[in-house]
Amino acid sequence: MSFAKPTTLSREQVAEFEREVNAIRDGVMNHLGQADVDHMRNMIHVSRASEIGGRALLHFGLGPLSWVAGVLALANAKILDNMEIGHNVMHGQYDWTGDPALNSQTFEWDIACDGEQWRHSHNVTHHTYTNILGKDRDLGYSLLRMTDEQKWKPRHWFQPLANLMLAMGFQYGVGSHDLEIGRYKHGAMPKAEFKARLDRFLTKVGKVWFKDYLLFPALALWSAPRVLAGNFCANLIRNLWTYLIIFCGHFTEGVAIYREEDTRKETRGDWYIRQLSGSSNLTGGRLFHIMSGHLSHQIEHHLFPDMPAHRYPEVAPQIQALCRKYGLFYNTGSLFRQYATVMKRILTYTLPPKRVPV
Amino acid sequence: MPHTSPPATQLQTPVALRRDGIVRLAHGVNAPLVAALRHPWVESIVRLSAVEDALAALHPLLSLTQVRARVVRVNDETASTKTFVLQPNALWLGAQAGQYVRVQMEIAGRRVERSYSLSSRPGSRHLAITVKRQDQGLVSRHLHDKVKVGDVLTISQALGEFSMPVDLPGKILLLSAGSGITPVMAMLRDLQGRRYQGDVVFLHVCHMPDDLIFARQLAAIAGEFAELSLVVHYSTAEGRFSPEALALEVPDLAQRSTWMCGPIGFMDVVAAYWHAQGLAAPLFSERFVAAPLLPSTAHGTPVQVSLLNGSATFTTQGTEPLLVQAERAGLSPKHGCRIGICRSCQCVKTSGTVENLQTGELSSTPNELIRLCVSMARSDVVLAL
Repeated sequence: MSFAKPTTLSREQVAEFEREVNAIRDGVMNHLGQADVDHMRNMIHVSRASEIGGRALLHFGLGPLSWVAGVLALANAKILDNMEIGHNVMHGQYDWTGDPALNSQTFEWDIACDGEQWRHSHNVTHHTYTNILGKDRDLGYSLLRMTDEQKWKPRHWFQPLANLMLAMGFQYGVGSHDLEIGRYKHGAMPKAEFKARLDRFLTKVGKVWFKDYLLFPALALWSAPRVLAGNFCANLIRNLWTYLIIFCGHFTEGVAIYREEDTRKETRGDWYIRQLSGSSNLTGGRLFHIMSGHLSHQIEHHLFPDMPAHRYPEVAPQIQALCRKYGLFYNTGSLFRQYATVMKRILTYTLPPKRVPV
Repeated sequence: MPHTSPPATQLQTPVALRRDGIVRLAHGVNAPLVAALRHPWVESIVRLSAVEDALAALHPLLSLTQVRARVVRVNDETASTKTFVLQPNALWLGAQAGQYVRVQMEIAGRRVERSYSLSSRPGSRHLAITVKRQDQGLVSRHLHDKVKVGDVLTISQALGEFSMPVDLPGKILLLSAGSGITPVMAMLRDLQGRRYQGDVVFLHVCHMPDDLIFARQLAAIAGEFAELSLVVHYSTAEGRFSPEALALEVPDLAQRSTWMCGPIGFMDVVAAYWHAQGLAAPLFSERFVAAPLLPSTAHGTPVQVSLLNGSATFTTQGTEPLLVQAERAGLSPKHGCRIGICRSCQCVKTSGTVENLQTGELSSTPNELIRLCVSMARSDVVLAL
């Protein structure tokens, strides 16, 4: 895996590509309406009903079957709250509605990642500097080596294990991401700043732990162990699922990685091409797209981060047609196939680079 | 947006609070409950919006944070004017005659707000707003064409300083034109309700008898309320209303404390006459201005940007976006990507016209969310930073 080659498109073609992508965007954004906000409210209702149902089954259910059903319902609620609701609302996809409950800058979700820190690490850093090595901190999450350009260190022998740990505790990985521990260790961040970020993160972790591992188990009285285990498993399922979807969005084979110096004079058209080449899609049905928060349309999401996500399936064929026209690679495949290439990359870069004969 | 000319201090009257049992209970319980639900640790367990939705599902008027009102009756006043009689929930704190409410609605997924004067008598069981249908008016058309009995509207508490004092003057003129009749109608009802013993002239200007809003009610009040002299000036038949006509109709104008509401042109003419004649009696007016599309200046024309809290005002230079302009003026607004992606710099533009630098679109909508990094001021702008 090496850096993206400069595009073979001429400047005029890039400009034309930009115009065509903008036109696709306008085609949707100029026609947002009741159906969009109804979809989001519907998702919120489903998530709430699922949470109430799941917790009720865990608290009052009898036997292992109701426990499993409770775990699945609660996991479903958490996944929806995370992906289709939280992630999309916090991108500002519903700011146009003027509904304070859907305001990107004040929304807070049920996950160990503080909303404000997420808005910074994700909306600002990742979406602006997507796949620029050294700038996009989502590239390997400062934990995994995903490309030749990252220097191999002995700790990378443990990369498969680190990957598994990250998958199981994904919400803590995401939550601690904006701490930028590496920068702090290298002295690039003042201690006070780091302390403030750490406090914010720990407070949020405290809140979700208090809720899932103290308050609700305590309310369940003698069923406390059942509820505690159920909440833990629901969180675990959510962690694994979000990890799976997100890793398939940027770490599949064929995703381009950029050098900072190559992106300094980017036009909007260049930015579109970088977003397109740096993302990969997953194929599936409507339910699968919803459960992935429509991050199965990672390409469309990176082109139009503030477009209501349930519109991505509608624009995807247009983007795909545009890619054919301009000879750009539209990276898509099944979850199984895409994740296999992610694992291949993780394992490949576990090994130190072969010495190149001089 | 209505706005009034006299300073608030002249008009201090205690807000007439409805204090029956259930309301008192609701208010006593409500504030601490909302404060508790807004606590970040409680919010992380159950969101206030979830509680509100659950309450609304139980009963559409139930809310901890919003005044909601059910439409109990819709009266046709004229061919283009309807009165919506509303039953508010327990959060409603009451109003003084002359005040207005902001009515909030969701139309095609977007929240929109408009201000309407209350025409009902303060302290009455129901509220009433009277709305003229504007052919281009998003909200007035929605109210006229879609809203029916049984629907629930979200409204603000009563707002505005256009009201009458506790100690009423001996002679009063209530002067209105067109749909400006609504707040002075509330005042007239209030005077009748307070058994006003002085002398009141109610002078209204409209085109023709078919355009007279509240025709029936005015006739009824005139029959019961001996202190009232009711004058309607029909401009189609009697000619355009002028200050001279006013002086003719109301010879003792100089002694009458006057409350006035109507189109801007009408009120400007009356106010100019008032000052030119040096009339001693106070003149209070309520100005209703529909959200105007402010004329946009050419690219690069310096314009004034001010912050809503009054902490800073600066003049723009060149065509850079507002974020750069604010930073150049020594401010440091929150920001992130600076290219319109992350929305960190999003804030409310209270008034003014801005151009979206990504789409070239101009917008003058008041109280709208804008991203500073991709917005250029095209008129004087007020930001809630």
